Amino acid sequence: MTPWGLGGALRHSRLQAILAVAAIGAAVALPVVLVSVGGGVSAHELANLENAGYQIVISASGIHGIENAHALAHRILSTVASTTAASPVLSIAIDAFTATGGPTPILAEGVIPDQFTPTLGPTEDGLFPNPLPLGDPTDDLHFDNGTYVGPATYDVLISTPYESASGVKVGDRLWLGPVANRSQAIAYNVTGTFGVPPSLLGPTGAFAIVLPLSDLQVMTGYGPAPSAVIPDAADTIEVSVTGSVATNPSALNAVRAQVQALVPFYGVSSLTQEAQQLQSASSVLTGFYLALSSVGISVGLLFLALVLLRRVEADRRSIGVRRALGLPGRSIAAGILLDGIVLAALGAIVGLVAGYLLVESIATWAKGTVKEAASLAVFSPPVLAALVVGILLLSLLASGVATRSALKIDITEALR
Amino acid sequence: MIPSPAPTIALEAATRTYDPGGPDQVRALRGVDLTIPPGEVLSVEGPSGCGKTTLLNLIGLIDRPTSGEVRWDGVPVGSRGERDRARLRLERVGFIFQRFYLLPTLTARENVELPMRAARVPPTERNRRASGLLEEVGLSGRERAYPHQLSGGEEQRVAIARALANSPGLLLADEPTGELDTASTDAILDLLQRVRQSRSATLVLVTHNPVVSRIARRHLTMRDGAIVGDVTEA
Repeated sequence: MTPWGLGGALRHSRLQAILAVAAIGAAVALPVVLVSVGGGVSAHELANLENAGYQIVISASGIHGIENAHALAHRILSTVASTTAASPVLSIAIDAFTATGGPTPILAEGVIPDQFTPTLGPTEDGLFPNPLPLGDPTDDLHFDNGTYVGPATYDVLISTPYESASGVKVGDRLWLGPVANRSQAIAYNVTGTFGVPPSLLGPTGAFAIVLPLSDLQVMTGYGPAPSAVIPDAADTIEVSVTGSVATNPSALNAVRAQVQALVPFYGVSSLTQEAQQLQSASSVLTGFYLALSSVGISVGLLFLALVLLRRVEADRRSIGVRRALGLPGRSIAAGILLDGIVLAALGAIVGLVAGYLLVESIATWAKGTVKEAASLAVFSPPVLAALVVGILLLSLLASGVATRSALKIDITEALR
Repeated sequence: MIPSPAPTIALEAATRTYDPGGPDQVRALRGVDLTIPPGEVLSVEGPSGCGKTTLLNLIGLIDRPTSGEVRWDGVPVGSRGERDRARLRLERVGFIFQRFYLLPTLTARENVELPMRAARVPPTERNRRASGLLEEVGLSGRERAYPHQLSGGEEQRVAIARALANSPGLLLADEPTGELDTASTDAILDLLQRVRQSRSATLVLVTHNPVVSRIARRHLTMRDGAIVGDVTEA
């Protein structure tokens, strides 16, 4: 700090300077953590979307809200050009029993095997056997045009975490039922295993199974009409398109519109739209984090203003002497502004470092979702630079208050 | 550096009232008329609270008169804005205070350089001149000392060097020996006389110490905000 400004005085009041730096540092660390972790999670989800093997998703309001899923999938493939797969997926928690144990709550996913595989992204693709060893690849035999009277294979794939935990191996039998009652469970053949992709915000799926869609529908009462509340139900239908369409937003949107025309009563969105929505949501969240952090930043800068004001009060005589000697007001103002900026800059640096270390500590020492979220943190230089510039600009405001006070000091009173 | 010329100072019916019309109204100066020719050594004496320092502040443009005017070489300067008066103070007035008022966070050299820096004197020249001034006041080798490391007499020497930094034509000293012992008082008075003579500057001394007022040829006596005596020695 220049010995000519009040910086020299601040050298002699280190405690106040340290406290001001600490206050601003704490105020800066919070947005650094929120924005970096929030941005990292958003980027991760965005990457997941971009890496998905499907490009269009059909969804309905309510749970398991899509009906006639088998027929819809066939119709999409037969009428909408450029579609390569239409995979209905029904996800329901059921109970599993081993030969000696259970029940164990487990997430069951009902799929049509030959439609499911093409909709897997690069990450998931390596985790599942290809083709899926679930008997009838089309699921049409058991489904049998909605009568569900065809022969079922009763094949099931289990996740590797469940395999490890339960001791069930490929070739063993596993009893599955909609309630925790073995007498209502049906025996399935374990025909394969699959890995669980890294998951952060969705269902963990650690204990998960995959079985034919029609099997799960019958088991859970979402199968044949009229007994089922929603016949042939699914939660979503994921639609893959040809590579040229997938990489062309306008062509993809045209396909999406054709699918929407087929199912005007369901929501149809492309992943491009979802990615845009996610980016918008991420921007809103970043703004929200910064707004939330502005409270802390305001307190930090208020503290800075108070420290500078206190210094001005303590240095009334020195300021009076400077002004009596004829030093222009701007040189006195410059000294105070410099002090404010230096303290704010130091606080910002401390905050950036503290925020980074905090995120790294959480990623190292925390557990569960918090740890995973922290490990995804992205420290975006433009965002952090904008934060620092904002702090410095606001510090000018805080310094301005003290400067105004200094320039209003009456010289004759200060020299008494 | 070429010394700035000592101005002819004139106060015309100058008054200074603090908190005018308020409950704490104080009439510190009551219509003072005074002319100080260039190069004069003038002492202002009188009891505490009689307006000596207020008069000095008006002469040195630290304060503005409530009414009346302060002129330098016939030019009205007392009623000018703070920015103009600050520039005149910086370039043409040297202040010496009773309590020295050195900036405690600056070294002796930095204190002396302060007015030069404000006047944008180039660093090399500033350095050379500060060394010369500190040598002139007998403080060679003490340039790096902070005020708390100096004796009272040394502090006042630094203050005198600082007052001379921009070679002013007007030196104003408010009880310059009020905080000093007899030996230091004599030394400081010798120094003041010497530096004034070498620069042909006007020196206005506020004091109620007869020893100090001896170096002046003209003696003003004040009472209750008015000049009640104005004697010039033959």
